[in-house]
Order: sequence, then C-alpha cells, then structure tokens
Amino acid sequence: MSKQEAGVALPEAPIELVVNGEAYRLRVQSNWSLQHVLHNELGLTGAKDFCDRGVCGSCAVIVEGRPILSCMTLAIECDGKAIETVEGIAKANHPLIEAYVKHHCMQCGYCTPGFVVTAKALLDKNPSPGEEEVKEALAGNLCRCGTYPQHVKAVLEAANNLRRG
Amino acid sequence: MINMAKETLGDYERLQADGKYRVGADIPAITFSEIGKRGIRRLDGYEKASGKALYTRDVQLPGMLYARVLMSTHAHGRITRIDTSKAEALPGVRAVIRHDDPEVKGRELNGSYFGPEWVTPEAASWGLKPIHLVLGDEAWYEGEPLGVVVAADSEEIADEALRLTDVEWEELPFILDQEEALKPDAYILRPGADNNIVQHPADERGLIEKGDVEEGFREADKVVEFRVKRNAHLWAGAEPPSVVVRWRGDNLEMWVHEQQPYHAKMLISEWLNLPMNKITVHSLYQGGAYGGRGNPANNSENGMNVLAALLARRTGRPVKLLYNRSEYFYGESGDMAVTYFKVGAKSDGTITAVQIRNIFAVYMCAPGIEHFIDNTRIPNLKCEGLAVDVSKGPAWWCRCEQLPNCLCLTLVFDRVAAELGLDPTEVALRNDGCDGHDMTYLSEYKREHGFPDRDSLRECIEAGKKAIAWDKKWHQPGMKRLPNGRMHGIAFTWNHDWDDVRGTGSAAVMFENDGTVSIIGQQSDIGVNPWTAYCQIVADELGVRYEDVNIKPFNLDHGFALMSPDGSCNLCSNANVLRKATKKAKGMLLELAAQKFEGVEADELDIKDSMIYVKAAPEKAKTIKEVVTLAMPSFVSCVFWTEAPVIAWAWHTQGLWGEALETGRPRLCRQAHFIEVEVDTETGEIEVTKVVNVNDVGKAISPETVEGQMYGGTYMGLGRALTEEMVWDEQTGVLLNRNLLNYKYASMLDYGPIETIIKETGMGHGPYGACGIGEATPTMIPALLGPAVYNAIGKWIDEYPITPDRVLEALGKLGE
Repeated sequence: MSKQEAGVALPEAPIELVVNGEAYRLRVQSNWSLQHVLHNELGLTGAKDFCDRGVCGSCAVIVEGRPILSCMTLAIECDGKAIETVEGIAKANHPLIEAYVKHHCMQCGYCTPGFVVTAKALLDKNPSPGEEEVKEALAGNLCRCGTYPQHVKAVLEAANNLRRG
Repeated sequence: MINMAKETLGDYERLQADGKYRVGADIPAITFSEIGKRGIRRLDGYEKASGKALYTRDVQLPGMLYARVLMSTHAHGRITRIDTSKAEALPGVRAVIRHDDPEVKGRELNGSYFGPEWVTPEAASWGLKPIHLVLGDEAWYEGEPLGVVVAADSEEIADEALRLTDVEWEELPFILDQEEALKPDAYILRPGADNNIVQHPADERGLIEKGDVEEGFREADKVVEFRVKRNAHLWAGAEPPSVVVRWRGDNLEMWVHEQQPYHAKMLISEWLNLPMNKITVHSLYQGGAYGGRGNPANNSENGMNVLAALLARRTGRPVKLLYNRSEYFYGESGDMAVTYFKVGAKSDGTITAVQIRNIFAVYMCAPGIEHFIDNTRIPNLKCEGLAVDVSKGPAWWCRCEQLPNCLCLTLVFDRVAAELGLDPTEVALRNDGCDGHDMTYLSEYKREHGFPDRDSLRECIEAGKKAIAWDKKWHQPGMKRLPNGRMHGIAFTWNHDWDDVRGTGSAAVMFENDGTVSIIGQQSDIGVNPWTAYCQIVADELGVRYEDVNIKPFNLDHGFALMSPDGSCNLCSNANVLRKATKKAKGMLLELAAQKFEGVEADELDIKDSMIYVKAAPEKAKTIKEVVTLAMPSFVSCVFWTEAPVIAWAWHTQGLWGEALETGRPRLCRQAHFIEVEVDTETGEIEVTKVVNVNDVGKAISPETVEGQMYGGTYMGLGRALTEEMVWDEQTGVLLNRNLLNYKYASMLDYGPIETIIKETGMGHGPYGACGIGEATPTMIPALLGPAVYNAIGKWIDEYPITPDRVLEALGKLGE
C-alpha cells in the first residue's frame, strides 16, 4: 500500500517563510498547520498546542502584522509571508517581556507566549490602548490559571514604556 | 490546660514528638529581607514570557516516534474482536500493541502501589474504576483508553492506524446518574457486586457524627430542609498529557507531565521490574495540573508511561505518547454529588444542628461536614456519605477535594441567614469557633500556644464588607431591581484557612565554588511560583542575597524530591525542609570559615548580604567564595582547587495523611468572600459584577503570588459556578462537550473586577505563621453563586453550575 492510498501522507510543497526576520526554505505537507511547522519543524516551541481548535490563542503568532491562530492556519498558505513569534518578540527585548515578568502574568506559563504575541500585535496597531481595549484584544486568549488581571497591568505598563522609548 | 478531646490529644502529643505537627506559633527567628517583599523577580518569569520554558509536550528527541491509544466509543462495553492488520501494514507504523498482547494482557495499571484491596468489586474507591488494566478490553466509560496502542513516524500516521483498526463491540448497559444507580432494580455495573456502591467498607467517612442532631433540631426555632445537586466539572489544564520515553541500553529515561514524578518512577519500576537506579525522570515545566496530573490511578499517568516504555523498547527508538484535548476530558472532579440537608437554628442565627446526606458519583473526595467541625461551634453534626459507581471516568481531587465541604458550609449558612432574614455575616460570626467550641476556646488556645489573639473572621469580614460596600448594598432577597432591568444580588461566605499540613520532602542546600547557593531537589512547577519563594526563604535563613540563590528542580536523579505541589501545602512543608537543610549547610560553612578567620570559632561568625563576618567585629569579613575555595587555586587539576563540598540535605515530614479532621490543632486563620451579581430574569443570564476575596494567609512569603492564586482561583471558581459542566448524552452515555468551545471556562471579559485583600495575622501553624492559599479561592467561590442569585431573584437554584436554563426554571419561566 502506498502512503497516499493509506490517506496519510498528503502532497508536500516547498514554501518560504520569514520567521522573526530569518528566511527559511521548507518542504511541508499540505495538511500541516503553521503551529506544527513552527513548533515541531523549526523548534520554536512558544506556539503552544493547548485547545487544538482555535479557542485559546496559545498558538498565536503575528503574520503580516496581524495576530493569527497558527493551529488553524495551514503552513502552505503562509508561503512567502513574514511571521513573528514570541521568540522574536523576546529577542528584540520588547518591553512586554519585562512587564510580564514584573506583574506575574504567568502561573503555569503554558498560555503566556500566546498572550505576549497578541499583546504585541495590539501595541503595534495601537500604542496607547485603554484598559478596555487591552481586555478586548486579549479576550481570545484563555488562561486556565486565571492570570487575567495581571495582563492588563503589564500591557498598559509596556505601552507606557514603549512610548517613552 | 484547655479542654481537648482526650482521644485526639494523645495523637497530637505523639505527632508533635515526631516532629510531624507544630502545635504552637512559629515565631520567626530571622530578619526578613526577601520574605514578604514585593517586586522580587520571579524565577520562572522570563522563560515563560519569552516562550523559552519547555514543557513535556515540547520535547523532541532524535528518531522519536509518536504513539496514540484507542479510546472507547462506548459508555460501557467489551471488545469482542479487534483487527489491527491494516494498521500494522500502514507505512510509518513501527509498533502495535493490542490488549491481548502477552506483555500487557491482564496486567493491572499500577500493581501493588494501589493494591488489589482497592480494586475489588466491593471497593473500587480512590478514583479507581473496578477493573483497571493498563490496556484492557472492557470500557467502563466513554473515552477510556483501551484496546490498542500504536507508535508511528508521526502523530498523523498513528491516528490513521487507529482509524484503520477494526473493532467490534458488545455494548453493555450504562448508568449516568448516581441516584438511578442506587435504585433496587438498577443494573449492576461491576461483575460480582450486589449493588453499585463503591465506597470502601473501611472508609470511616461513611458516617460522621458529633453530638445529637435530633436534640439539636428540637432546640431549633427553625428547621430547614433542601436538596442540591453538583454536576461534573474537571481540571482541563492547559497542557494536554504526554510522556516521552527512551531506553539507553537497559536504562530508562522519561520526561513526564506529573505533579509527583517520584510516583512515576516507583510505579514504572515495579511494572517493568526495572531497578529504580536505572530510571531517570525529568519533570520540565508543567502546563497546569490542579490535581489532574496527580492521580497515578489514571491511565493518563502511569498507564501512558508504561505503554510508551513498552513501545520504545520494541522499536528501539524514543517514543512520545500523546493525548489530545478531547482525550484529556478524562475523569471528573470528585465532588459530583446530590446532597440532602437538614439544618436547625435558633432565631438569632445560632445553628443547633446540621445533618447532611451526600451521594457521590464515582468517588467521595470529602464527606461534606468537616468544615463544620473545624470551623464552627455547632454542637450537633451528622453526615452520611456514599460513593456510587456510574459510567463516567475516574473522579479525583480537582483543586480541591474540599469542594463538598465548602459547598455544604456555604449553603447551610446562607440558607439559615435567608430563612431567618439575618445578615449572613452576622450568622457567620455567631457560629465561628472550632469543634463545637466558641471563640473563647480559640482565644485561650492562641494565648497558650504563642499566637496573637486576633479575631481573623471579624477582620476578614470587616475588610470585605468595606471593599464591596456591604452595608449599603445588602438587601432582602428579590428586592432590588436595577435601572437596567436586572435584579441585583449580593452574597457572602466564609471558611477557615487552607492550613499548612501534609507534606514530605527532601532537598539539599549547596554552596557553589563562586559562593552562590543551589537548592537541589526535584519539584514539578505547576505555576504556583514556589521556586521563587524557596529562594527567598533560603536567602533570609542564610543571610545571602536572593539573587545568589537558585534551584535545580527538573530532575530526580540527585535523589531529593521536595513536597509536590499538592494540597496547598507545598510551601508550608518545603519551607521546613529548606530551613532544616539551610541550618545544617550554614553550620558547615561557618565551621569551614572559622578555619580561615584567625582565632575565631564558628559560633562567633554570621552571614549578611552574602558576606561571612565576625559578629564582634563586622569589618572582618570574607566572601563565601573565599571560604569554599582554596586560597591559592591550583589549575594543575581542577579537583584540587575546591574545599570539600559544603552541602547539606534535610528531610521533613508533617501532617497525617487521611486525617481530615484537625481536632486538637484548631485552625485560626479565616477567609471571607463576597460576590455581586446582576440577574436577567427574562434570559436567565447572570453577570458577575464584582468579587472580593479576603484571605488571612498568616504570612505572605510572596504577596504577588498570593494575589495570583486569589485571582486565578476566582476565575476557576466562577467557571465552576456558571459555565463549566460536563454534559453526557442520556441515550448513549457519550460525553458531548469534549472541547474548550463547549466546556467553557472564563476569559478576560467574562467577569467584573476581582479585589484581593491579604490579611497577615501570623496565626497559621506553618512556617513564619503562614498557611496555604493555592486551593482556597477556587473551592470557596463556586457555591457562593447560589446565595447571590437567591439574593437577586428570591429563588434558590438547586443544581450547579447555575446556568441560564436553571435560573429560568427556578423562576417558572421554562417553556413559557
């Protein structure tokens, strides 16, 4: 029985991604999610597998400036696109990271990278968000540990630090 | 001498002599520099915020295979035929193990650790199902792992192999409701049993009695009876279960997602007949647990570890076995119960008798009466408890096993207040006490045992009332319609602290050659920021800077395991472990230092700000590095440049497992919780507009961490109160909402502001006067919604969670 007869290995395609400013050339199966490619193929483990169906935001990454759910996005659809992950945000010393540490925005920490990515996308678009705008932006991220109030403080502080340069 | 019950006094004297209980205040002997300070940089913060923190789910090894297990599609049934030939022929499949494979056939999940006496048909207690094999052929609930496990080159191929496996089932009757299961004509689920009761005959929690409830009812001015049902909810932690296993020759190495990795090591050692010294266990960061990664009786712990190890041995390759999100909807919190209450009270709010009958589904995690004993002066108490098997997964502790106790306490107090038209905060204060005694007893105890004599409940209530404007807002039920048309409700509940007891741990404190300090001891991080607290404690106990202390928690190989993050007592246990180890290590260091200070004895030295100095002449000082290394390092061989290692380890145990009743060692700290809601009487929707939590934690080691637990517990508690419910199809017994879309927990926008107020009376029995906090809020908050909705609409909802349809039903508006 061939792989295709078994219905397992779908066609592969070459794609190019720019992840955190670095160019990658990859062969991906047509059914692979972007989360799978980032996490398992590139070792960028910040994009987490939590709900597996677009409910929790733990796999969030920024594609072409917009936060998306990488578990609901096929990798081949991202051919040629620029992707920013939490690893890139941390490497750039974005003030969100230190604000998150300071305000204890993590407990188990599994969902934290998804929050950081979503918050980064918010601040890219809106450098001076109000409290309600922060909550609105992060409402699609689930945290089972319930760290929610701390995120608002951290994001507002990071925005303040960014504005002050 | 205070009037303690004689039979328990003996126990306490013995336990105190054994060092297992501190019966008396722990007055701090050190100056706090780091302990209790805000702004300390948490140790796991950067890793977690930057995406660098690794979890078991993230582990990949060269040549690693992916394994998946079949899950039962039936609520009760038996596999009559299984054909894996197509799966085995699928390219990329590397191993298939079926239930009839000689290596697993008939093999129990856990062996002697959870011995056969707990899995007989009469006694399938402790969250175990009656026949529990590592890979069986009989399903006791829908979603049970069984039948076949497959290892393949990818998850997709392993899943495809399971789809290609042809399974024929004999379907058997199932039961979902525990009261149905108790009826005389009910189908009996377990072969050979006379009924569906699964409680162990030796479980003394079946009947707990104090005083004479009939006498108490006679004394009462008002007797109230009611029934409440609590439906199923579960942990639903962020990281779905997985394990990674590899063999190095006959040595086994595994990465586990477990609260107690030492269990994993013991259990798999016995299962594989593999000496423990050939097993290495890694515990990386843990993506949530809440008790759900702490029951070795679940297949998703030792069961999956064993299967992964067998597959890895057969294939000669590392294996990662994964459950997906829907498969992690496995088991329930052990507080699924139907409760019948009868309560008597005098018209001033003095409660004279409480009688409770609890019928649990699957497993009784706590009887429901203990907090009345530990926490009130009520003289007459009676609690009957039963655990009854149904066709649902194994139930277990779910942050936390005290849920039934909190539900019962809250509903009894708020019902009494409502029936008598009294302010519930007054009813709480009137009945506060311990083991049938009033507050004078507690005051005497506090004075005799070195505690400050503070009225913790009164302080908590006063702070909470002020924060929520209770005196302005509290009203008689169903009396306040808001301008937006909704009904306003407000409610209060209270309890004692989460204590400090129950823990065993070991760790070493070691001075590195640069003078920094390492804490060596495995501990699973489930998010409660323990490591930061440990470093704060060691820093202050030693006299070194917080920045100079670090912990090595990810591995068991060094042989030290700190108390696991369970029961809200990891910090209170481990602080004692670390204080003992630190004391020894400091003594060793000062002995060594004395040799390097001329004419000075060790007891003339001390440490401050990471410098060792002569107490009588503080200008005479040396760094720790100067002491632990030789003065003139020789680089001829690296072993020559260090002094003998300065390392000391300690072991500490406390508490009495299985003894829920703390009689004789009264709990002194209290907590108070307030909630405000708006109820839409047309849609049944409930909006939680404010929550105030006041917790007397005795002493907050890390205040931000305490607040984090109070915030997080509130969201979890509100989810349990309002939206988190596992729903089974009555026709098929299939769990219908195995995903986070339809099993809904809180998001950022769902609830109004949460205020956290920390009280520090120093009246905890734990180190520095502390007590636990991790489980308090999520266990207290769920029941509180009932009284709040009652206060809004004037009707009691008798089923939890309180969903809009249940509100409408109570209002008589269903079907209108």
